[in-house]
Amino acid sequence: MIEILRLSVPLTVWITGFSAVYAVLGLTCSRHWPPDFEARPVLIALWVAVIALQALCLAAILRAPSSSSFVQATSIILAATALVAAIWSMLPVIATSSCL
Amino acid sequence: MTATPQPQAKPKPPRGTALPLHRALSRIWASDPRLRGWLTTSNNNDIGTLFLIVATTFFVIGGILAMLIRAQLATPDSAYMQPQVYNQIFTMHGTVMMFLFAIPFFEAMAVLMLPSMLGTRDMAFPRLGAYGLWVYIFGGSAVIIAMLMGLAPDGGWFMYPPLSSAAFSPGIGADVWLLGIASIEVSAIATAIEVAVTVLRYRAAGMSLSRMPIFAWYILIVSVMILTAFPPMILGSLLLETERALDWPFFQVENGGDPLLWQHLFWLFGHPEVYIIFLPAAGMIATILPVMARTNLLGYGWVVAAAVSLAVLSFGLWVHHMFTTGIPHIGLAFFSAASTLVAVPTSIMLFSWIGTLWKGRARMELPMLWILGFFATFVIGGLTGVMLAVVPFNWQVHDTHFVVAHLHYVLIGGYVFPMIAAVYYFMPLITGRTRFFKLGEVAFWLVVPAFHVTFLAVHMAGLLGQRRRTWTYDADQGWETLNLVASVASFVMAIGFALVILDVAVNAFISARGRRNPWGAGTLEWAAAIPSPAYGFASIPVVTGRYPLHDDPDLACRIARGEGHLGDASRNRRETLIVSTARGEPAQVAVLPGNSVMPFALAVVTSTSFLAPIAGAYILSGIALIGVVVLALVWAWGLGSRVDQGPVDAGHGALLPLATEVPDPPGWWGSLFLLLADGVHFGSLLFGYAFLWTVAPNWPPQSYLQPDGWSVALALAGAGALAAGPRLAVSAIGRRRAVWPAIALGIGGVVSLTAAAASIWLERPNPAGHAYDATLWLLAGHVGLHTVLTLIMLFYLAARVAAGYASPARIGEARIVSLWADFTAATGLVALAAAWLPGSFG
Repeated sequence: MIEILRLSVPLTVWITGFSAVYAVLGLTCSRHWPPDFEARPVLIALWVAVIALQALCLAAILRAPSSSSFVQATSIILAATALVAAIWSMLPVIATSSCL
Repeated sequence: MTATPQPQAKPKPPRGTALPLHRALSRIWASDPRLRGWLTTSNNNDIGTLFLIVATTFFVIGGILAMLIRAQLATPDSAYMQPQVYNQIFTMHGTVMMFLFAIPFFEAMAVLMLPSMLGTRDMAFPRLGAYGLWVYIFGGSAVIIAMLMGLAPDGGWFMYPPLSSAAFSPGIGADVWLLGIASIEVSAIATAIEVAVTVLRYRAAGMSLSRMPIFAWYILIVSVMILTAFPPMILGSLLLETERALDWPFFQVENGGDPLLWQHLFWLFGHPEVYIIFLPAAGMIATILPVMARTNLLGYGWVVAAAVSLAVLSFGLWVHHMFTTGIPHIGLAFFSAASTLVAVPTSIMLFSWIGTLWKGRARMELPMLWILGFFATFVIGGLTGVMLAVVPFNWQVHDTHFVVAHLHYVLIGGYVFPMIAAVYYFMPLITGRTRFFKLGEVAFWLVVPAFHVTFLAVHMAGLLGQRRRTWTYDADQGWETLNLVASVASFVMAIGFALVILDVAVNAFISARGRRNPWGAGTLEWAAAIPSPAYGFASIPVVTGRYPLHDDPDLACRIARGEGHLGDASRNRRETLIVSTARGEPAQVAVLPGNSVMPFALAVVTSTSFLAPIAGAYILSGIALIGVVVLALVWAWGLGSRVDQGPVDAGHGALLPLATEVPDPPGWWGSLFLLLADGVHFGSLLFGYAFLWTVAPNWPPQSYLQPDGWSVALALAGAGALAAGPRLAVSAIGRRRAVWPAIALGIGGVVSLTAAAASIWLERPNPAGHAYDATLWLLAGHVGLHTVLTLIMLFYLAARVAAGYASPARIGEARIVSLWADFTAATGLVALAAAWLPGSFG
């Protein structure tokens, strides 16, 4: 079970983070968000937090290697993929207009 | 690192052991004779074959509908069909191809081939597989019968409200779609659970994760995708059907609903669905291509990583189907970026396959031809997909025939062509015959060029502005020639597909008997006798590499002589091996159930409970639902044992416990996967609630529900007792003490949590008034449904303990009940907290 978790957790963290950032975007564009509260810093902070989590996943996999070389190599590829995906897919938070 | 089991030196049995073993196993694993056999069989060969035949039948029906569409569009101002009929035809074409053909066809191939590939004797839950098959047949047939009666849905295969709401789609067409498809989703989830547990636990000895055949990886990933992608769709169907039947306004803007909620729920399913269809085909390519190239797959680990990445990334793309709905730019940019990302793992797979071809020596057999057809087609479909991921381009071609052409390039090129390759590749194994008649080559040269002519023309028509889902067009719009060319070529393609079916049928029945492993493959399925006998392998192989037949050319004979595990039929029951998840070490012996009419009967009542509301027969539906519970209990009661049997000899000196005498029996794993789907369903409900609260125009409602102290106390106490009771029952069984106090505590928890949920229904008695109230009813309904299920399980557990079916060794059933109780307690608390939260903050 641990081996399955090694393979599945990094990208699960990505999809969770991606959904969370999209959900917070929805909230910042809704009637519930205080109009004088700037949304972009919150979104950027969340994005950085997701990237940090992905980096932690990768570091954890590197620091506590699996006894199976196949699982170890594959989980490193997947954790690196999740890190790149987190940087790339949420990059628009720094540049694109928020609620237009 | 634990050493992998090696083939152990064993005194060689005398010659001539294979035939008696074959006879004994054939008798044990045989299906019932004649027609009864088809209704009672649970063997994967029979179930897979039936699945394959029925899915192919639906493919033919969907194909006929496609030809009707092309006949209508061949000329401008066509009077061939009226718009009402055309709407039904294109809706049913999409529905049949996506739900009744594509998914069941790869499930059929998985059920048929997976046990042999993994070196086991059958799927993990053979009766569940049979149940899934029959539910699919009944649900699919109901949809087709409705179409023949002129009662088909006509709102497009994705059924957007408000078009599909009662106001704009009166009659039962939309209900047929919602309830018929829901029953097919039940079938898909049943099969997904079966596949996931089979791949993780039912393998040859020594088959670690790194030695699994590549198709097993793909199908494992796809089964998890089904369990996580289908629940949002099931929730969407539930919401739309309750809106249509009971006027609960989830999608009615004036009463706090929002039609965009349906689009989110549908595409949360619909986009991963594309990859659910593509990945099994990719698995087949990765299996067949190296054999055709006479080499091994290049970059096995990279391909596994790419498949996992593609699967998860596909869940982050759903909004790219909604680029024109007014979503903020930043949201569009998120999903555009994520959409371009999936090109990377897809390319890794493609380069792995090209590299495999490069390092090998390809032979142009028929499966290889179809794979080359895949390459030529899928790459184009992938590139138009990247074009559609670019928002400005997407806006221009949205809802045009360009999108129609793109999705056909991906689905036919990326799925149908590889699956035809798979059928031809595995035909010697399935039928035991060598292909003699060469219609297949003719069919290939008809289908692939005609496909490209058809859909390149459709691409162009779309770029010129032809809208999809319009029943005709005027003569002066410049689309006439393109449409005529597309229609003529599509009929050529249809003739080609008909020849494929004819070729397979003729060769399956008439050709000469073939020899084992005609392609010289290295994977285990080719070690079985051909055609594969009901028991699969005479003994469970011990493997030391990814290509066991290349490592040990004599392996097939040694398996047949019973030199693997469980090569002894003297216990006279259907036994197979369960291994540890990661390393593939022998861990348990599973005794699989025999033939039974129970799956068929349960499918009848399940389908009745789903389909009766279409005719307004709600009482019949309710009775059928009670029938589902009763039959499920009877089914479960027939499993297990009243005595501890202890470890059994599994061969090779291994003494292994029976799967009924371990803490994590297959049923526990199956429950884990079912609860994964249940959890995603619950998460989708919370998403819908948050979406309406955040986005829907007519919010807030007039008032929010105010939590009272008693209800909160009941919820907390109930959840605590529900989590504690079954755990204490497990502990009591383990220590041979009375379980009644623990079960009574669990029942108390059920009553308390149900009372807390019921307080919501009492305080907000009108779910039709506002989407907020309707959502509260569903949240409380989730709690109520799960507490009732847990209550039934607790009574069942009490009865099983009283009847002697539990002991410190036979603890698995109690742990399964505990798992469900934990889920009920946890999601119950979250559901009630979500219901009370807005009111708590005023």
